Amino acid sequence: MIQQIVKRDGRIVPFEMDKIANAIFGAAKASGGQDYQMALALAEQVEKMLENAAGNDAPTIEQIQDTVEKVLIESGHARTAKNYILYRNERTRMREMNTRLMKVYEDLTFQSSLENDVKRENANIDGDTAMGTMLKYGSEGAKQFYEMFILDAAHAEAHRAGDIHIHDLDFLTLTTTCCQIDLLRLFEGGFSTGHGFLREPNDIRSYAALACIAIQSNQNDQHGGQSVPNFDYAMAPGVRKTFRKLFRSNLAKALAVFGADENSEVDADALTRRVERETGTWVCLAGGNGYDEAVTAALTETLDEQTARRCVRFARKYADQETRGATYQAMEALVHNLNTMHSRAGAQIPFSSLNYGTDTSPEGRLVIEQLLHATEAGLGNGETPIFPIQIFKVKEGVNYNEGEPNYDLFKLACLVSAKRMFPNFSFLDAPFNKRYYKPGHPETEAAYMGCRTRVIGNVYDPAREIVNGRGNLSFTSINLPRIALNTGKVDEFYRELDRKIDLVIEQLLKRFDIQSQKKVRNYPFLMGEGIWLDADKLSPDDTVGEVLRHGTLTCGFIGLAECLKVLTGKHHGESDEAQKLGLAIISHMRARMDEAAAQYKLNFSLIATPAEGLSGRFVKLDRTRFGEISGVTDRAYYTNSFHVPVYYPISAFDKITREAPYHALTNGGHISYIELDGDPTQNLEAFETIVRAMKEAGIGYGAINHPIDRDPVCGYTGIIGETCPRCGRREGEGVPLSKLQKLGLYKHLNSTTLGYHGDPAEESDRQPNELKIVKK
Amino acid sequence: MENKEILIGEGVGFERIRRITGYLVGTLDRFNNAKRAEVLDRVGHETDSHVLEDKHTA
Repeated sequence: MIQQIVKRDGRIVPFEMDKIANAIFGAAKASGGQDYQMALALAEQVEKMLENAAGNDAPTIEQIQDTVEKVLIESGHARTAKNYILYRNERTRMREMNTRLMKVYEDLTFQSSLENDVKRENANIDGDTAMGTMLKYGSEGAKQFYEMFILDAAHAEAHRAGDIHIHDLDFLTLTTTCCQIDLLRLFEGGFSTGHGFLREPNDIRSYAALACIAIQSNQNDQHGGQSVPNFDYAMAPGVRKTFRKLFRSNLAKALAVFGADENSEVDADALTRRVERETGTWVCLAGGNGYDEAVTAALTETLDEQTARRCVRFARKYADQETRGATYQAMEALVHNLNTMHSRAGAQIPFSSLNYGTDTSPEGRLVIEQLLHATEAGLGNGETPIFPIQIFKVKEGVNYNEGEPNYDLFKLACLVSAKRMFPNFSFLDAPFNKRYYKPGHPETEAAYMGCRTRVIGNVYDPAREIVNGRGNLSFTSINLPRIALNTGKVDEFYRELDRKIDLVIEQLLKRFDIQSQKKVRNYPFLMGEGIWLDADKLSPDDTVGEVLRHGTLTCGFIGLAECLKVLTGKHHGESDEAQKLGLAIISHMRARMDEAAAQYKLNFSLIATPAEGLSGRFVKLDRTRFGEISGVTDRAYYTNSFHVPVYYPISAFDKITREAPYHALTNGGHISYIELDGDPTQNLEAFETIVRAMKEAGIGYGAINHPIDRDPVCGYTGIIGETCPRCGRREGEGVPLSKLQKLGLYKHLNSTTLGYHGDPAEESDRQPNELKIVKK
Repeated sequence: MENKEILIGEGVGFERIRRITGYLVGTLDRFNNAKRAEVLDRVGHETDSHVLEDKHTA
């Protein structure tokens, strides 16, 4: 007689035959069986068999289940046996997943981020902090839950196996990726972030501060980045309002000093408002609209002509100076804020991007100029800011050629980018961007998220192919090298690729279904404040599915280079034949996306996946499956999207021409990088030539990478080899204080004289320098 | 106290800020292993100004 059994956790408990009978009965019922007596009889057989095998020893759960299966099969209950076995396997899989999850939690808890690659999956999260780790707990648990209970089994399997990668899986049931925020619209009339109302701003400093607040608030409703597609246009009203205020206050001072007016503030206020009513216009930065003359005329009612003119000149001079200073400070504060406010879950800074470059109004230009200066100055100790990602919109007729209104700003952008790696450059004249462009309509200027996501075309609403209030809903990437490794031949490759695309389309649609069921109240800022296009037409308990249709459902890819290496023996950087095939493959993927878009009237698109966490995942799985294959799986990463491999020596020009055609195909987003070894500030001509080459080749979005080294001790920023060019110390060495003091640092034995501080008065006096060409 | 003898910066390294195919720029210690490998592998792209100009006016 068996008395006891050993449970999985080691506990010894009494043997209960009923439990075995119930399990058998349950399995029988699944095929339509109804005979409990039969189940009981079988359970007795199981007990007998266990006794014969183990005697009086307590059997384990595994032994019991093995015996049940044996009995069922040997007594001819095939269907019941099958059900029992399937159920048992499913339970085993669940248990293993729980164990795996717990192991992940264990590693997150006890390993430092240096030891634990998972903690560094997303470089923006400090995996060593409490909030960073808590976010990881939530994220890993959510992913497991979705894989077990929410995802379609085929999709979950494909993701797990590494055929596809569902990005931001942890947010599957929660939200969408990103949004391009129209600040102009948001600020009009003021807005709310949840508690309390924020009035429409009246000063450039408030405009900039609220821009940060808007980005941070929206960041809490989405898992991806936040961009402003029209930053210069959106800040310009702030400059206008600030100039008007400063003109008024400085006029008051002038009246007090030159006009001996004891009541100057009231008088200046009344006078300036009266002239505004009479002329129908405000005093403005550029002058020339008749306002200054009208004020002068009005002043001559109480003052002599010379004094009147003097007062107006004074008011304008100081209004101008102070406005420039205020704008600089506003931009400096913005850059600092977006680099330091850990306002996103997991103690992350929001992923913020700003697009600008095409506003030719004096106010817009001032914003661009001061933002660039603030970026050049850097953070508190002169460090390079890593946010916001800045994108300068290059446009012929506006800022590309000498003589065009913002050409000076393009040159300045190149100078700052050569030092700080920002801004990146987008090209509105690339044919696929130009087709949407309507002059005088900034909402038709193609914008990019910092990461490269692009949302402008609109299959769902072709009358509104605009950037404002739209973004990506989700994206899933395909492992191209895997397909090549599985098939080896081109026609089989396409067949397998098509199957994977079918799967991705299905999965994107399923995810969209889930997202569509969410309500406006699930996104208090994004939807509740009308940031997302058409959300302002919804009530708090409405579902958001209809308006989400403005967003993109995107298929991505990684490793085109390695894929081509498998199929042709070479990657597309080194072979024209491979390039031809590469273009054919990506064209095909794009055609499939266009087809799906037309079929579903949804914005399906193709993206050259950014791949931060993904870059290592697929290659690891493939190396295990296929072994180490030279030029394919023998590195720790797959080459990003359609890029020429980073290790391949190629000239800047050739890289640009190789990659440019892929930009036209990847309507969901793309970027090309050029890597410079040296310090581009020493050769600005070459830097600008690269940017121009990008424009001429039809690149949509491009960036130039170069090393930026910094010595925290003396603040030097540039290229540092063995020794610091400013103070001469080696890495880890100390340098005498006296030497630093001779360099003008540490004057008060503290860090206030360390680094570059960007004095606003000096900034505004700065004249453009001749570009000096210093060849290396 | 003799100012001139005080050494500043002992044990302080240089910051190497790098950007690699992602949207993040920062020092390498936050990068995951795959990204670090990419940074170590990559080579610069040659830019002869004259060559660039000739080519795109051709």
